[in-house]
Amino acid sequence: MKAKGLLVLVLALLTFGYAQTEVVWWDFLGGGDGIRMKKLIDDFNASNDDIKINATTLEWGPPFYTKVQTSVAVGESPDIMTYHVSRFPLGVQGNVLRPITDEELASVGLSKSDYPANLIEAMTYDGNLYGVPLDIHSVVLYYNKEILGAAGLLGDDGLPTFEGLESFNAGMQIIKDAGSIPLALPGDEGTIWRTFYSLFNQQEGAQFITNNQVTLGEQGKVALQTITDWISNGYAPGNTAYGDAIALFTSSQAAMMINGVWEVPTMVDLAAKGELFDWGAIRIPVLFDKPATWADSHAFAIPNDAKKPITPEKLAAVLEVISWINKNSLFWATAGHIPAYNPVTASDDYKMMEPNATYAVLAETAVFDPQSTATGVASPTYDAVLNIFVPSINGQLPVDQALEMFSQQVSSNMQ
Amino acid sequence: MATQSQTVRPVAVRSSSRRRKYQIWRAAFLLVAPFTLLYLVLFIFPTLRVIQLSFTDAPLIGAGKWVGTANYERLFKDFLFWKALKNTAYFVLLTVIPNTAFGLIFALMVVRLKRFQGFVLAAFFLPNMLTVSVVTRIWQWLTSSQFGIFNIMFGTNYAVFNDPNWAMPMIAFITIWWTVGFNMLLFIAGIQTISKEYYEAAALDGANGNQIFWRITWPLLWPTTALVLTLQLIAQLKIFDQVWLLTRGGPFNSTTVMLQFVYTQAFQNFKGGYASAIALVLFVIILIASIIQYRVLRTGGSR
Repeated sequence: MKAKGLLVLVLALLTFGYAQTEVVWWDFLGGGDGIRMKKLIDDFNASNDDIKINATTLEWGPPFYTKVQTSVAVGESPDIMTYHVSRFPLGVQGNVLRPITDEELASVGLSKSDYPANLIEAMTYDGNLYGVPLDIHSVVLYYNKEILGAAGLLGDDGLPTFEGLESFNAGMQIIKDAGSIPLALPGDEGTIWRTFYSLFNQQEGAQFITNNQVTLGEQGKVALQTITDWISNGYAPGNTAYGDAIALFTSSQAAMMINGVWEVPTMVDLAAKGELFDWGAIRIPVLFDKPATWADSHAFAIPNDAKKPITPEKLAAVLEVISWINKNSLFWATAGHIPAYNPVTASDDYKMMEPNATYAVLAETAVFDPQSTATGVASPTYDAVLNIFVPSINGQLPVDQALEMFSQQVSSNMQ
Repeated sequence: MATQSQTVRPVAVRSSSRRRKYQIWRAAFLLVAPFTLLYLVLFIFPTLRVIQLSFTDAPLIGAGKWVGTANYERLFKDFLFWKALKNTAYFVLLTVIPNTAFGLIFALMVVRLKRFQGFVLAAFFLPNMLTVSVVTRIWQWLTSSQFGIFNIMFGTNYAVFNDPNWAMPMIAFITIWWTVGFNMLLFIAGIQTISKEYYEAAALDGANGNQIFWRITWPLLWPTTALVLTLQLIAQLKIFDQVWLLTRGGPFNSTTVMLQFVYTQAFQNFKGGYASAIALVLFVIILIASIIQYRVLRTGGSR
């Protein structure tokens, strides 16, 4: 009797296994992102009988990308993986990414026009699209409505009224005079790079790379000088660690903070517990000629595994997964990220979601890292920012010298 | 061997000795084989591959094109290479002799203790049992510019790891704080092997403390000192973890070191060929430094 039951069970499992296509999935999403992605994956598995995602989360940064590179070389790659768009240059150069055609996208009801054009452009090399974007993530200006309101810096719509650098600095002076810290600026290389690159690109004529050389020019000088002045004028405390900056803001000591959209859940959770003031988040104000904000994107990519090329069934399943997650990415937006899939950001549900809907405009004028192997997440540029910009804005080296040193170092990695 | 078999078994020497010789060789070969094999596979083969890779433009994984000496030409023109070399030398200077000296001083003090010896010993040795990530995190907290105890005590906002002049000395200090306990233990073991009779004889002859140290303890402790210095030199030339966790080479590359340079080129920039060239140069430098030190320490011992 027992043996028979077991046999039935085994048979059931076998047939079940045959009917399903298993999709091996690797991502680098720890923390709050990871919890949300797990739920999306569980929901997908629950609503799709014929495809099963088998997900593994690996360590963010170089360990992840090293493992991907290794796995592709030996034919042990996953079927689908998350990938930073800013990391595409190394992936394309290292032949790790498999191009995705328009027909393949169309087979699951997707098209390039479903995504912001600047993002698709950032993911296209020699006419080939190397992934499908999931989101756009960037830095925003978090603000304390109580402090800014008391300083008379909020408009009737409850949004800050900064227009241009002078107005922004004058506003910070008012806050400072009133006894608060105007701005918490995390001193990690990520935030400093994102802030610098945003301010740099807000100026006409800015071009980070020209002929394989870093060209910062006058725009770079203005951008770095602006950040340096914030610190030397006492608008932003220097040498602030990432976590310390969040603590300064959430404890009401600092009126504003520049940080990634991924900290939105931190604020939402604190507010839900009644432990946070009335807060908001907006696109980084236009301080110079035009709006521009640094951005990166979590995309889905298919490994270009020459030893074990993806089978048509697997490919179909992977595309199905990509399409489903994209179409259900409203939930992903609760992690703070802006969904890349236009129909989601255009939906009424998204427009109700605050502060996400307010800062979502940044996507239109987002600037992605240059298509160079020396830039992007965990790149020589990030190292050089930590190494040179961070101490420089804290008064350790004049702006001119820091820019020269930075350009030399990053350029030396482009040969 | 032959004489022994002649005396024990004078008959049928020839035929059996050849066989025995064969058996001995076979046993020797079998005993040595596992290690030799591992040595060849895990050390010699990778070393030869590194030499080969250093002449190619290989990515992190897989083969590359032969590029001749291009990697080396690039290396000697790369300002970061020279900076890393200089910084590594500076770090060695800041740690090897001080770490040995403090180990000796602490050992001399601890063996004199009549009470609490075990406690003091443990206090000095405790940091050694922590992993590097814990050690660096402790010091990051202590020196945090916003919430660190030193800055709160003095009411300052000073970030030592952002100061190009003091970042490297601070890393050296933390390294000594972390590892001096082990050196101290080695010295204590060395001191305890020195026979008490020397000290008694010296005391009877009316030698003072200074004389006792320089005429007895120091020369008899020299083998230990030489060992500690050698271990220190090799360990500190390979500095990577503390730098990576505390400064990642900054500020202004004032703490960029050789191994970190290799790591970033290989695992961040996927430049396997170039990283191999750097690694090979580092290997040669360590080899030369070890030979020089061996020579110097040998003359030191003959005093």
